[in-house]
Amino acid sequence: MVTARLGHPHLGLGVGLRSVHYPHILKEHPEVDWFEIISENYMDSQGRPRYVLEQIAERYPIVMHGVSLSIGSTDPLNHEYLHKLKTLGASVHAHWISDHLCWTGVAGRNTHDLLPVPLTEETLRHVVDRIRVVQDVLERPFVLENPSSYVTFACSEMPEWEFISRMAEEADCGLLLDVNNVYVSSVNHDFDPIEYVENVPHERIVQCHLAGHTNCGTHLIDTHDGHVIDPVWELYRRAHQLTGGMSTLLEWDARIPEFPVVHAEVLKAKQHISDELESPQGTPRPEAAKRSHAEDDVDNHISEPVVPHPAVLVAAEVE
Amino acid sequence: MSDPVSELNRLQRWMQSVITHPDGVAAGIDSDSARQHIDVQRSAVEEVISRSQALDSIERLHVYGNAYYARLIECMGGEFPATHAALGEEAFSGFVMGFLQVSPSTSYTLGELGRAFPEYLASSRPPREIDGPDWADFLIELATLERTYSDVFDGPGEERITLMQADDLLSIPPESWGDARLQTAASLRLLTFQFPVQEYAASIRKQEEATIPQSAETRLAISRRDYIVRRRPLAPLPYALLRQLQQGATLGAAIETAVSNAETDVDMSTFAARLQEWFRSWTGDGYFVGVDLESDQSVTK
Ligand SMILES: [Fe+2]
Repeated sequence: MVTARLGHPHLGLGVGLRSVHYPHILKEHPEVDWFEIISENYMDSQGRPRYVLEQIAERYPIVMHGVSLSIGSTDPLNHEYLHKLKTLGASVHAHWISDHLCWTGVAGRNTHDLLPVPLTEETLRHVVDRIRVVQDVLERPFVLENPSSYVTFACSEMPEWEFISRMAEEADCGLLLDVNNVYVSSVNHDFDPIEYVENVPHERIVQCHLAGHTNCGTHLIDTHDGHVIDPVWELYRRAHQLTGGMSTLLEWDARIPEFPVVHAEVLKAKQHISDELESPQGTPRPEAAKRSHAEDDVDNHISEPVVPHPAVLVAAEVE
Repeated sequence: MSDPVSELNRLQRWMQSVITHPDGVAAGIDSDSARQHIDVQRSAVEEVISRSQALDSIERLHVYGNAYYARLIECMGGEFPATHAALGEEAFSGFVMGFLQVSPSTSYTLGELGRAFPEYLASSRPPREIDGPDWADFLIELATLERTYSDVFDGPGEERITLMQADDLLSIPPESWGDARLQTAASLRLLTFQFPVQEYAASIRKQEEATIPQSAETRLAISRRDYIVRRRPLAPLPYALLRQLQQGATLGAAIETAVSNAETDVDMSTFAARLQEWFRSWTGDGYFVGVDLESDQSVTK
């Protein structure tokens, strides 16, 4: 019998730590429940990012979120990287370490993108084997996130919800359900996001991501550059109801506003959760999510190239 | 019978070739580098990548193709803001595109991406048309400076150790001075340039109006204090001295070499006073972490 969140704590409503917010956080010590860090920005740091992280980790619970594990790649796992992850996890007492169901490159290269895998039996076996290795090395709870994607493969044999469900069960790992990614992919690949959220193993969902995206008309891009839209909140409410609550985190990676704006965005979740609890019989409104594409206004102000996350580099501070 | 992982491997190699092709995904599908993995025509690419209701297969791949270069160009612009400003958007993007062809990322961290960029600019510079430093030299030097800033910012530093103070130097017995070796800070970098690139870089970082400076011999000490990168321009003689010290020369030998190599005669009547002045500012900047006395007792603060 698997317990809710695989027995991991419900950390509350957290925010992704970004370097532009360091001064505010260090000075104001905002009442944020927890922070998620991008592992790669700290694992090699011998400068300010690491120093700031140590101070933040003294006050707040920390979860590590990576973008370079490349669990789906056919290149060998990078054990130097894994050991650095493990070391960082110990030093910040990370509650868990997450990455994405994706590959980032092959033949020794890193595209620094989260590329989708074909959803086949073969890929499933490959990924499950590698998760087991990663878990053995990390010796810390390991969680995988559903990515946003922009292509699907003709050779795929199952829906993504089935793939990640079987993956999590067979490898015995946790899931990070990014409801914005579910929504983005559902529009891009013409599937029902509610069906997705309803069919993943809820007791394995350790954490949830919320974020904004960009609507390009014909498709959505996961830009993490704005507010969470209503259809995504709708999926969040449903996930909350099905899981009984999960550590929730807002990602904001481009055109990042002042810290209080980012924090306020994740705090909106409280409203959605309490509405949910108060609604008669707790009935969700799946129709709303289904017709949501129409509610998601096309962003016709797009002037720059629209780049999906991740693009995370901590720029040097010079006197 | 095909090995399933190698099927996945073929698909990944194909997709990577397609989305990283500098001329776009359609050219990528036609390229030998993609076709050696999956030999599919543009018109038949739906056999590999499904279409959606709104987009065909190539349009969907295009999202990744666009993003690959846009993301890495943006990251490079973050690391090299002044080089970016000097070149302008289009030329900077062009150089980064070229750079990524010869030095694609092979690291898990974006922090490594720009390491070889100054070298790339140097290797692709146009032939010289004038005697003396030219525009290409300026760009190469500017990129070198910005990469050094990145290295110093996130590399080893001295914030957690007690640095030598001016008084610690004075406490070295006079008879030991000549043979003493100062241990310089790990963050300290000494660089010479033909342009005052640090001034241009500072203006850009402060978002001020910046003009391309006239060439001028420039010697810089770059270091980190309190997690911020600092830079100090140095005159030829103190630069030479500091360089000797960083390379491990004893104080006596460092002074002798620096003075004898000086291009102009050194006024020895004021030299001792100047020496004191330099060491006071250098200890203030945290350039020294300890001193080894030849008698093998080391004073490490
Ligand atoms: Fe996410």
